[in-house]
Amino acid sequence: MKDKQPDFKFLYNQYATLVYNLALHYLQNAEDAEEITQDVFVQVFQSINTFKNDSSLKTWLYRITINKSLDFLKHKKSKKRFFIFGNKSESETEWNRITTFEHPGIVLENKEKAKILFTVINSLPENLKTAFILTKIDGLSNPEVAEIMQISISAVESLVFRAKNTLKEKLSIFFEEYYKNSKNKSSK
Amino acid sequence: MEKETFIEEILNSADAIKPVAPSEDLFYKIQNKMEAKNHSQEYSKWLIAASIAILISINTLLFFSKTKMNTNKIAVLVENTDNQIY
Repeated sequence: MKDKQPDFKFLYNQYATLVYNLALHYLQNAEDAEEITQDVFVQVFQSINTFKNDSSLKTWLYRITINKSLDFLKHKKSKKRFFIFGNKSESETEWNRITTFEHPGIVLENKEKAKILFTVINSLPENLKTAFILTKIDGLSNPEVAEIMQISISAVESLVFRAKNTLKEKLSIFFEEYYKNSKNKSSK
Repeated sequence: MEKETFIEEILNSADAIKPVAPSEDLFYKIQNKMEAKNHSQEYSKWLIAASIAILISINTLLFFSKTKMNTNKIAVLVENTDNQIY
């Protein structure tokens, strides 16, 4: 019996938007997100025959996209560090500023707030970042996130809770810095 | 603006993010990338096969030339019919 070749075009049409948007949430740049989407589908098309069906195809795609996005960010960060001779800033207010923020899913009037949000999200540890992005931005349920991250549902709840608290703390510091700067500018 | 209001507004800005579709030619870029990858894999296979063939050839040549040298040495010893030890 001849093995049926997967319909790549159908697979792509089903999941391209999902993969692309998830990559956008991690990278906040359309060009980078497209590159990740390409890499994800190349990997999927090449290894689809070895897919064991331990999880659903959607879950598998989520995992590949998350791993590739995080690897991309690590690679970008290590390049930056190389250029400043390996010095890592100790300052609490040294945010990982997004220099090429262009998330096409954000309307203009929301852009500044979203930029601040993603700036603080980018400073989170990987597991907190992933849990927050999948639940609050991608809108997945806790059981779905648990399956993707291969952790328990209670672990997801804990990660989301910690992510929110950490974000609130960082936004609080950001607000004080921002407010201080505004006050200094207006008093001059 | 109050700090709490600021924090809430920033966190809630995630609710307004809409999904967007990738560019229309992305599928063709993926196909091109796969074709390029397949070509480089084919090239690598041929390179490995050629390297192994060259290694085997060199080893075979060395083996036979060594065998020939040993044969010549034995022949020299055998030719010496003089039973004189000293």
